[in-house]
Amino acid sequence: MKELRLFWSILFTAMILAAFIVPYTPLLRNLTSFHGSFLFWNIFAIIVIICIGIITARWRNFDER
Amino acid sequence: MNASTIYVALFLYFIVGTIIARYARRKMGRGINDFFLAGRTLGGIVAALTYSATTYSAFMLIGLAGFTYIGGVGALGFELIYLSGLILVAFFGPRFWLAGKRYNYLTPTELLGDRYQSKAVSAVTAIASVVFLIPYSAVQLTGIGALVEGISGGAVPFLAGVFVAAAIAVFWTWTGGLRAVAWTDSLQGAVMLIVATASVFFVVYRGFGGFGLMFTQLETEYPSWLTVPGPGFFNIHAFIGLTLPWFFFSLSNPQVSQRLFMPRSLNQMRIMVMGFLIFGFIYTLVSIFWGFSARLLLPDLEVADAATPALLGLDLIPTAIALLVMLGISAAAISTVNSIILTLSSMITRDVFKNLGGKTDENRELLVGRFFVPLFTMVILVFATLRLDLIAALSVASSAGLLVMVPALVGAFFWKRGTPAAVLASVITGGIAATVLQYTGYYPLGLWPGVWSGLIATAMFIGVSYFTSPPREKAEEFIGYLQGELDKKKII
Repeated sequence: MKELRLFWSILFTAMILAAFIVPYTPLLRNLTSFHGSFLFWNIFAIIVIICIGIITARWRNFDER
Repeated sequence: MNASTIYVALFLYFIVGTIIARYARRKMGRGINDFFLAGRTLGGIVAALTYSATTYSAFMLIGLAGFTYIGGVGALGFELIYLSGLILVAFFGPRFWLAGKRYNYLTPTELLGDRYQSKAVSAVTAIASVVFLIPYSAVQLTGIGALVEGISGGAVPFLAGVFVAAAIAVFWTWTGGLRAVAWTDSLQGAVMLIVATASVFFVVYRGFGGFGLMFTQLETEYPSWLTVPGPGFFNIHAFIGLTLPWFFFSLSNPQVSQRLFMPRSLNQMRIMVMGFLIFGFIYTLVSIFWGFSARLLLPDLEVADAATPALLGLDLIPTAIALLVMLGISAAAISTVNSIILTLSSMITRDVFKNLGGKTDENRELLVGRFFVPLFTMVILVFATLRLDLIAALSVASSAGLLVMVPALVGAFFWKRGTPAAVLASVITGGIAATVLQYTGYYPLGLWPGVWSGLIATAMFIGVSYFTSPPREKAEEFIGYLQGELDKKKII
């Protein structure tokens, strides 16, 4: 479990840092269209939602009533 | 829109919510856990809607639309990074839930106090929450007051809006505790999302002919609004300063983290988390589209926060829909305020009153808790009518101020070396720093109060921990128990 926790922690840290940095780099800061930062942040959020979905899917095995 | 239409709409809204609240009361058990946590038995859908309605306040359709109006797409980045903060729940959610069940915690601050074996930790973190959340709630009420005043052209006075909103919030909360709050939140959450989404389609299709054409017009007329820093509002310091504290919202704000105790199972918590993420993603996009639409249709507004009310005044939206949007925004504010009132009442009862030597009899504790519901509402109401500069500053500082809880919470679950003295030092110095920096407007090195309060609280927590003594036995038992359970069930 420690390895898995480390894996997700590193992945999420990288994604969050990218969400802060990439739109401010020349790559996107000059792209004045829908396909620039708008699309980037939407894709970022969708990937995060999918990742959280994967992690929490395991919780189903832990149903206590 | 005339005054009587608004009053009738609010009255009907109150009646529907009251029927739900009274039905919730019938299902309510007698203990304090029932009143404040719905007996830890919430289903996933209701939990998702109350989590969403509590998290998303009037800020979204007013403030975030305003940010988009003046700052462009950076508002989207700010809000989606905030949404991605639910990553923290993937790690901390099961831990909160397991600890809550095992030790019968009522509040997140009680968890801190027990884990660090210090009543002072419980009391100070609870009081800090009150200090930052009361002004934040007051600003929600003033938002409703300003909205109904604006939309009625002054026919409904500001104070009437504030009083009506406060009355609705307190009545539902008093009636059926958390179950009433959760069920009325579910209604309010559904209204917020459906009405806002429907109305944005009206605006975009009637105003521009579709989303594609809206973006084409933006690319032509306001190209910089599709980039950061864009028109300038979202320079990198502002972006980090705004976004960083909100990323930790799911842990730092007790009215939200307390909801991690409430689902009846981890499976239901999963539904809560995923439901909230979908709700939040849609609601964020809707708010951003409001802002972009206002930018194109009403380019000369002097106040950014007027973007949504001004759009509602255009002929694009039928009056009935505009009225529903007003109700949706009011619902967003009321559902945030009533949750905060209930959480603060539980914290003051459990973490301050009981620690001061109050009798531990559960009935008496519940009575005290219920007494604080109208009391906090009165205080919030008074603050809302005062309109003091300090209240506005504290409200803005709330995210920065509450951020100081995060190092202690992370330490509680992951760091056995953390000490109660370190928690007190980090919360007090970080909280004071957030307030002073926000109030004076002094941003050393260009960094915003939320960045400083986070840095100071973290440094104090780690530094003081090395010079003071931790509660070793409790730390071993607490973290050891959780680790054993989580490993057994393959939860990260």
